[in-house]
Amino acid sequence: MGRLRVKGKAGAAKNYTTRSAAVKKLQCSLADFRRLCILKGIFPREPRSRKKANKGSSAPTSFYYTKDIAYLAHEPILKKLREHKAFAKKLSRALGRGEWSSAKSLEENKPVYRLDHIIKERYPTFIDAIRDIDDALCMVFLFASLPSNSRLPSELVENCARLAAEWQLYVMHSKSLRKVFLSIKGVYYQAEIMDQTVTWLVPYLFTQNVPADVDIRVMLTFLELYQTLLSFVFFKLYTDSGLVYPPPLDAKKDEDGAGVDAFDLQDNTRQSTNKMTKVTEVDGRQITSKVVRQTIKSIASDANADAADVDMSNPESLEADVEEEEEFVPRASATDKTVTAALPTLQTLSTLPQTLSTGLFSPYTFFLSRETPRPIFEFVVRSFGGRIGWPSSSGSGSPYDETDPSITHIIIDRPLVEKEETTEQRELRLRRKFVQPQWIIDCINAGKILLEDTYAQGKPLPPHLSPFGEYEGAYIPSADSANVEAMEDEEEEEDNEMIADDEDDKTRDILEAVTAAASEETSLRAAELAAEAAGVDFGAFEATVKKANKSQSKRSKNDPIEEAEQDMNKMMMSNKQKKLYEKMKYSNQKKEAERNDLESKKKELTKQKRKEGRA
Amino acid sequence: MAPQAPGRKSAKRKQSEDDEEIAPPQQELHSTGVLEMLSDEEDEGDASSDDGEVDDFPEIVNESDSDDSGFDEEEDEEDEDEENESESDADSDDSLHVFPKAKTVTSEITNQPKIVYPEIEPNYDSDSSTEDTPNRVGNVPMHWYDDLPHIGYDINGKKVLRPARGDELDKFLATVDDSSAWTSAFDKNTQSEKPLTPEELDLIRRLYTNENPDSTYDPYEPTTEWFTGKGKEEVMPLSGALQPKRRWVPSKWEKQKVMKIVRAIRHGRILPSKPKSSSKFEPFAIWSEPSSSHPPPLPAPKPALPTNAESYNPPAEYLPTEEERKAWESLDPEDRERNYLPQKYSSLRLVPAYDRFVKERFFRQLDLYLAPRVQRVKLNIDPNSLIPKLPSPSSLKPFPNYRSLQFHHSNSRARCISVSPDGAWVVSGDENGNVSLWEIIVGREVKRWKFEGKIGSLAWCPRTDVSYFAVGIEDTIHFIIPPNVDPVVLSLTRTILAPATLPPAPTAPSPVKWVTPPSASWSLDTPILTINLTASTGMPTHFCWHRRGDYLASVSTGGIQGGVWIHQITRRHSQAPFKKIKGTVQSVLFHPLKPHFFVATQQYIRIYNLSEQKLVKTLLPGIKWISSMDVHPSGDHLIVGGYDRKLCWFDLELSEKPYKVLRYHSRAIRSLQFHPTYPLFASSSDDGSIQIFHSRVYNDLMTDPLIVPLKILRGHQITDGLGVLQVKWCGKNPWLVSSAADGSVAVWCS
Repeated sequence: MGRLRVKGKAGAAKNYTTRSAAVKKLQCSLADFRRLCILKGIFPREPRSRKKANKGSSAPTSFYYTKDIAYLAHEPILKKLREHKAFAKKLSRALGRGEWSSAKSLEENKPVYRLDHIIKERYPTFIDAIRDIDDALCMVFLFASLPSNSRLPSELVENCARLAAEWQLYVMHSKSLRKVFLSIKGVYYQAEIMDQTVTWLVPYLFTQNVPADVDIRVMLTFLELYQTLLSFVFFKLYTDSGLVYPPPLDAKKDEDGAGVDAFDLQDNTRQSTNKMTKVTEVDGRQITSKVVRQTIKSIASDANADAADVDMSNPESLEADVEEEEEFVPRASATDKTVTAALPTLQTLSTLPQTLSTGLFSPYTFFLSRETPRPIFEFVVRSFGGRIGWPSSSGSGSPYDETDPSITHIIIDRPLVEKEETTEQRELRLRRKFVQPQWIIDCINAGKILLEDTYAQGKPLPPHLSPFGEYEGAYIPSADSANVEAMEDEEEEEDNEMIADDEDDKTRDILEAVTAAASEETSLRAAELAAEAAGVDFGAFEATVKKANKSQSKRSKNDPIEEAEQDMNKMMMSNKQKKLYEKMKYSNQKKEAERNDLESKKKELTKQKRKEGRA
Repeated sequence: MAPQAPGRKSAKRKQSEDDEEIAPPQQELHSTGVLEMLSDEEDEGDASSDDGEVDDFPEIVNESDSDDSGFDEEEDEEDEDEENESESDADSDDSLHVFPKAKTVTSEITNQPKIVYPEIEPNYDSDSSTEDTPNRVGNVPMHWYDDLPHIGYDINGKKVLRPARGDELDKFLATVDDSSAWTSAFDKNTQSEKPLTPEELDLIRRLYTNENPDSTYDPYEPTTEWFTGKGKEEVMPLSGALQPKRRWVPSKWEKQKVMKIVRAIRHGRILPSKPKSSSKFEPFAIWSEPSSSHPPPLPAPKPALPTNAESYNPPAEYLPTEEERKAWESLDPEDRERNYLPQKYSSLRLVPAYDRFVKERFFRQLDLYLAPRVQRVKLNIDPNSLIPKLPSPSSLKPFPNYRSLQFHHSNSRARCISVSPDGAWVVSGDENGNVSLWEIIVGREVKRWKFEGKIGSLAWCPRTDVSYFAVGIEDTIHFIIPPNVDPVVLSLTRTILAPATLPPAPTAPSPVKWVTPPSASWSLDTPILTINLTASTGMPTHFCWHRRGDYLASVSTGGIQGGVWIHQITRRHSQAPFKKIKGTVQSVLFHPLKPHFFVATQQYIRIYNLSEQKLVKTLLPGIKWISSMDVHPSGDHLIVGGYDRKLCWFDLELSEKPYKVLRYHSRAIRSLQFHPTYPLFASSSDDGSIQIFHSRVYNDLMTDPLIVPLKILRGHQITDGLGVLQVKWCGKNPWLVSSAADGSVAVWCS
């Protein structure tokens, strides 16, 4: 006889703890428990059977791993929280009695907890930390733009703004920005740091307000952790790239609204000459790490410059390339539908190495018009090696004046207004290119300099697409031209049929043969030869083949017999399989429906446009 | 009290002795009371305790009332009372103001305020003791008088009668009438309500509000300065002792202690004010030390990256139509697929702030710390790969494919059919009592019989050397020889069904009667043999021939008695194999090879060994209501269909549970049958369809039977919720005959 098993002593009943039991065990308030969970990154778990985990009760509650709670019980922060509770009591007592001096001394010695051990625990390696700073960056950027009030002390907002600026400085310095997306929610940036993609969202430059139904305490607890994490991460990033952290802030510049420029990026070696520097001797010469770094940098910049030179030397050829590529896509897609699905992905793949040339804007100098948001474009342009100036209304410290002759582009977001101008102004205007802000972002996402004409001032903009892509098989708006062509083809076919009546019977026979033979490659080749011998136009031949293929694919798609067989075979599926099958079918159909919906909308829109064009 | 004793009766002597014993202390007590002026409370307490000891005391008092000594005692008591009361008066003079208040007057001599009491006039009224208190029992517990008509005695020793006390209603009325009722209290002594005096009320109020009961007490009296203030300084020292040296020489030890601290401060061991714990947080190289060997916690899932629809300038097809916008707005925020509506702005400067930005961040954080996370394996497979790969039906031909002909019964349901063993003829019966014989290839009716009542079932005898079939109608089974039979076969059939010499009657008499009409009246229209089942057994709905063709099992339903009968043709004998069966029998079957008998009740299938007469096995198909079953020709497999749409395949060698359960019909399964020679089976259902399966069974025990759905045959109409009622295979060809509720009988050919 086996050992007797007592219910509730092993398994799920032991491994899971409800939240209230956890709070009771830790002897802290629910708010403290929440704070601990946030800081330690402990989250509820879903037991396989809620009944088994909760002693037979199925009441709605959240479960934690018992081991997680045991781990929390040893947390030094929990001790500090208890001390804080005692402190709060003492303080309120002192204040109530009007013992101001003791209250002051209590306040001075108030228990403060540190989070560095938590950072080390949660992110044992630096890569782990980098992988997880997305949310931290979003929060810091958000709080940097919030107005300070009694619940949001101004130091906090300042610190967030400092962290945000430090991050932008680093990204600009390391040129690690990869993608930018202007969405209705804000600006998404994606950077690649130590082979990890970091995506963060920055709200547009408006004052955000914290709604009443948002628990600001939760956000502040998260922010506390995120600030610590980010300062550690930035410290490591800065010191690894030989910069001083924290970068000293020029108070005067900051007051003038210099923004990011108020911080001074200092080279570590310059400052710490008195400190120990790593010196190695090679061939009797002393080589410091600084020298090595400089050499590397010079090599890299040479490469960049080379690339830039090439770009500069023959912009026509570059543009030609662009055009060719742009043309290539629709032509390929027109031939076969399946290829179109593959091509954009290939293209997106090929853009990756292209974007790695981070000196995209290095040959150009930009000037921001006063209505364009400076923080966004200064950051973006400088991350890609461009030089940028701005009017004094956007802040001080602009390296370029508006009249500077080196300016090549003006980023302007105003409608075109006719006005009188002097010849000088006219000359200046003709020398420069006026583009809308989207041009910058689209160039970055495309990994190349796009034609400025479509983005010229006052022109309706081409759609701005997400550089992050969609799920596989989703509707791709750039492939729409293929559909349009297909539609045109259909119309043309109708026309052709009219013409075909005039043609002699022979050609028609041959074309019919082609239709029959379209399925097999060898027979297709033979048919092609036959058609050529008969003197059929190659275009007509191609059209027939395409048509045949299309009809065939349609036929193969809904073969009634096979479908019926499959339906019958579904009888033999087990219940579990049947459910899984239904679920997958459902999700697939949903995706398909979404796609079809978009496609039909597009078709309608183009039809409408064409009608308008004709009228 | 001594003189009391002689005046008493002898019977009460003992008691009086007791009294005597007790009496002296009382006297003593009174004397002490007078002498020592004990306080009220003590006196009362003693008295009550004394009284408590004496049970019959009141009676004695009553008798001795006239005695002098008793009177003296009374007087003593009275005196005592007076004194006590005067005492209490003096006390209450301050507190209760029962008497005139004291006045504060500035003395003419000292110029100090003094309290002057009014003169007490010693007139008749001045003594409160003269106020008439009718009850003179003193402070004894009043419950002694609870069941007596009086409540005590007045000063003259007369009984004071209990005042009349009304019931609750009177009390209530009294409270209504008398406005002072709520300020009156029950006086035990007079056993009546007594209004409280204003002083008493004031006292109650003060006690209630936690004030000092004394109304004249002033808690905030100005202090009287005796020693401080101008002109009150003490000029002379209190003692003439010399001042000690320590009063005017600085302490050496104190100096040493201070110097120690000073030195410590100078050396920096003690900091005058501790440097504030630097709240400024300084980062350091936290990752320079090697990390612990613990695996890092799983990173939180990242939010989905934005798609084209979120762009500030999306392609026009992403913009929602008016209906989509309305649908999105009408949904709950939790149910929305996207938390935003795509919008298009012609230029960047027109893009407004996103109003839900903070909220979305907040929800993300709630997700991070409140949402349980489960690692899920995402299946990335083609859903079609889940469908089992089965051989194509086209490779499993022949099977019935199309309807070759249709035969109609007019205006009634074709309940039952039977195919002749040679596969050339079909008999079909309907609910009007018509039985039609027709050829399977041509479909033309050759002969029709008309019976009274519904035809429950039809079964053609499986023997090939004879030719007849059984027709089951209400309580009877008829045996009919079809027309145009070979004369040899006909004569053999006749000798079997109606032998010239009847077999000997069985030993056990049976209630079932076998009737053969006289040979002169034989015709093609009438049955040659009729079995009259016992009355009210109901209609035989199911027939099953033994493979040799000698035994016919019939199941009757709808009757009162459960009706499973096995009829032996050669012996012209019917027997009921079961005395009692649990549940109603739905169907029975003979095993094709062994002497086994299958009986399907509503939920179970029992297999009996007929030769050993015992139960072999019970199968549990898990069907709520079994409708039909059939056994594979090999005898090892059984299919069972139920009204709950399930079809169970049993491997009889394996288990009591089904090997496979299929549910493909959308309505109840009515009938199913294995093909006797081809690896096929068919099932028919109320959804009007017939499903053909390929069912290959292997001889080795290792291979599972292969079941492949082949074809769904449709063509019968559903009438009154009933579809195809019966299917039968044609013995030699892969042809199927089906009868339906719309009266049509169809032949399906390959």
